[in-house]
Amino acid sequence: MSDAVGPVFAALAHDTRRRVVQTLASGRGATATSLAADLPMTRQAVAKHLAALQRAELVRSARRGRETVYELKPGPLGEAASWLATVGGEWDERLERLGRLFA
Amino acid sequence: MNKVEREITVAAEPEDVWRALTDEVLLSEWLAPEVELEAEVGGELYVRSEDGEERWDTVDELEEGRRLAFTWADSSVELSVDAVSDGRTRVRVVETAALPVSDWGPRLTALASACALTLA
Repeated sequence: MSDAVGPVFAALAHDTRRRVVQTLASGRGATATSLAADLPMTRQAVAKHLAALQRAELVRSARRGRETVYELKPGPLGEAASWLATVGGEWDERLERLGRLFA
Repeated sequence: MNKVEREITVAAEPEDVWRALTDEVLLSEWLAPEVELEAEVGGELYVRSEDGEERWDTVDELEEGRRLAFTWADSSVELSVDAVSDGRTRVRVVETAALPVSDWGPRLTALASACALTLA
């Protein structure tokens, strides 16, 4: 694995960060505050995960007025990450429901 | 990186779990709100998801009591059932997208193999 791949890999191996990617993939950019409202975590936790995703070059940020807006970087890496996060999240939910059938 | 792998172990016998993967009524309890399945190779699979999206797919492979593979949208999905111990069964799912991985270049190909191994 090359050095460029390491951070991306580490960023996506984390379940919470996959959920952040998934949420970003379904919208047109979000702030740390709006993400924290959608996900069960604090704004501080979201900011930490966004920083990790930014270091991995999966996410980029732009100032919009007084806010910092985050979005997935366009391109194959971002698309692949978004597919992984979305499809993975869907199967997490399905298998959880399957598990409940036998609980 | 065009592959998602997940698994769950449930407290049930493999044949009961297999039924949950192949019986339409049980599939509607977990896979999607509405599922119709002809559980045979070449059989039709109809799925309507939460957001109302409908898909008509085909069963590609079926190994009775063990493995079910089908194609939906641009992905192929394989579900398999394994007994892990007395009364416990593991269900494994692998979804592989038909993305052109070869176009991603060497960096992404390396990432793809790394993720296929570890993002399970």
